[in-house]
Amino acid sequence: MNATKNNIYKLLTSLKTAIFLLSFIATASIFGTVIKQRADIDEYLSVYSKSTYRVIHFFGFDDAYHSPWFIAAIVLFAINLTFCTVGRFKRFQKARKSPATLPDEKGLSVMQMYFFAEKTIIGHIINSLKTGYKTVHEEEGGVVLEKGAVSRYGVYVIHASMLIILAGSLIGLIFGYKGFIVLNKGETKNSMVVRGNEKKMIPMGFDLKCKDFRVSFHPGGEPKDYVSSLEVIENGKVVLKKDIRVNDPLNYKGTYIYQASYGSVPSFIFSIDGDKVALKEKDTYEKDGLILMVVRSEKAIHDFGPGVQVAYLDQDEPKTVWFLKNVERLKERNIQGIDIRFEDITEGFYTGLEVSRDPGIWVVWTGFAAILLGLYINFFMYYRRIYIRKVPDGIIVAGHAFRNHDAFREEFEKLKKKVLDQ
Amino acid sequence: MSHKILGVVTFMYLFIFFLHVLYFAVKKQKVISVIWATFFVTIGLHTAGLAFRWLESYKLGIGHAPMSNFYESLIFYAWSISFVLVVMKKRLIFPAITMLASLVDLTLMGYASLSPSVEKTIQPLMPALQSNWLYIHVFTCFIAYAAFAISFLSSILYLSKWKGFQLPEEKLEGINYRSVAVGFPMLSAGILTGAVWAHYAWGSYWSWDPKETWSLITWIMYALFLHARLTKGLKGKKMAFFSILGFLCVIFTYFGVNFILSGLHSYMT
Repeated sequence: MNATKNNIYKLLTSLKTAIFLLSFIATASIFGTVIKQRADIDEYLSVYSKSTYRVIHFFGFDDAYHSPWFIAAIVLFAINLTFCTVGRFKRFQKARKSPATLPDEKGLSVMQMYFFAEKTIIGHIINSLKTGYKTVHEEEGGVVLEKGAVSRYGVYVIHASMLIILAGSLIGLIFGYKGFIVLNKGETKNSMVVRGNEKKMIPMGFDLKCKDFRVSFHPGGEPKDYVSSLEVIENGKVVLKKDIRVNDPLNYKGTYIYQASYGSVPSFIFSIDGDKVALKEKDTYEKDGLILMVVRSEKAIHDFGPGVQVAYLDQDEPKTVWFLKNVERLKERNIQGIDIRFEDITEGFYTGLEVSRDPGIWVVWTGFAAILLGLYINFFMYYRRIYIRKVPDGIIVAGHAFRNHDAFREEFEKLKKKVLDQ
Repeated sequence: MSHKILGVVTFMYLFIFFLHVLYFAVKKQKVISVIWATFFVTIGLHTAGLAFRWLESYKLGIGHAPMSNFYESLIFYAWSISFVLVVMKKRLIFPAITMLASLVDLTLMGYASLSPSVEKTIQPLMPALQSNWLYIHVFTCFIAYAAFAISFLSSILYLSKWKGFQLPEEKLEGINYRSVAVGFPMLSAGILTGAVWAHYAWGSYWSWDPKETWSLITWIMYALFLHARLTKGLKGKKMAFFSILGFLCVIFTYFGVNFILSGLHSYMT
């Protein structure tokens, strides 16, 4: 029993496991870039045979990055990374705490960098060193100096940051959500569509109103800028107003609202009993017992131009009738004693808004900042030691860098020149 | 104006390549000085070419840095390789490396200006790209790609073992490692700035878009490379093959994703 435990522990803490898991994650990631993700079944069936699709679906390749095996690999990797890092850090602390020693002449002579100077005062050589060197050990006739000690922490900062980022993304995965709202100009909504296996509406906790939508174009016709003027309304009060555009979302208590897309839908202008009313497809109109609904519209009905089909209730019985814009006789009708005239069609813009809430975002940002710091101190700083020992006929200077040997060689050669020229 | 300058720059890279050929024929140290002098003039002109294109875009009323379409990215990639060569000059004193790099620059510039399938006009930026994150994101990514290209070239040289170059193997390994050690943090910065930008533009810092995914795959490749080098002493042929494999991922992230897979990053038409 203990042996198995030991084996599992070894497996979890070994670098080989980390390499295997990372290779696995990298290879598995390829599937998701080759097979379309989170698409409708019909889309898969148009590309693959039924049996192939069954295999794809069984292994979760149609949503590879959220499949249990992929998430399991990442979780295992996080555990492995934790063990590897903690283990390494413990060994590092032990080594760091053991006092620095000054090797004897023979020990110094086999170091990476080494030179002998016929000098007598160690202090002069120390003064010739680049700034930033710190004495870590001093004894009769010798001294050990070091620089860039912080770079040794880089790897731990990087690894810890990766765990922070993974933790942040997990928080987002569990407590966050993403949705979509389509708002017409002037429209207000309080719930969004959440995409997933089946679409469902969930409430946002506030009302969102699109006061205005504007789009401008480049001379070539490409969209240049599109802006939605939004209002966040809570308990009937406007609590936040903002013009949002691509790259400039609105943030209300951690819920981000992004300008994602836009489009236009035809709006049908009727005059009903003298009132001007704009109705879109599937819009209903209700007044004094009259219920109307625009059910269909066509750009051209035979040669008669655009038309719109309206449904109404005639003594509890649904009936439909067509209005044709260009045919005077079919432009105006009388339904239940009320004159209804189809006046015009206008293009009304709607704005497509992405809604997302990710409580883990600041954890992720912290991880990002920390990993950049870690990468900097790990790759752009390096740790080196210089040993100076007095011998009967002069002074021995030796040096050792733990990485970045080329740069250290340059630095050391400069020091050597400076000392010997003194 | 920028087209003319960049045309001259293309020929300059060709010229630099011939200077290398000359060097390998006569082996005179003087030629090396001429090569670097020419190279500095070329990168100066290259920078000017990019700057002029930037200015010209402002004259068109759609001002943006030349980092938005495929043509601009090719030109910028060539510039990045030259830039990394200058920064790493001390460690890249080997003419074999600068020769291959000038050849890569020449190929990129030539492909950008000669291929009929590459649209060369300055196009307006689509709204998603209108952000200051564009500059830092593209810059960090391309510096990373450039550093990885140098690592790739040193691996090719390592494996080719052509006597004429007379390069010590350890030096090549050193260059290989150093360029990855520059490229890796830059790629990380590129991915992270991209993620922050994606959060503000698309509403999610990571959406497993093919470009994102392939950049992660590339990142993992080089992370494995660094770990194998630092803790398992990866060297020799294995190291060279590993680095080549890593660069294949870079190429796929840069070109492959755009031509073969579609996604949010499909700007390069």
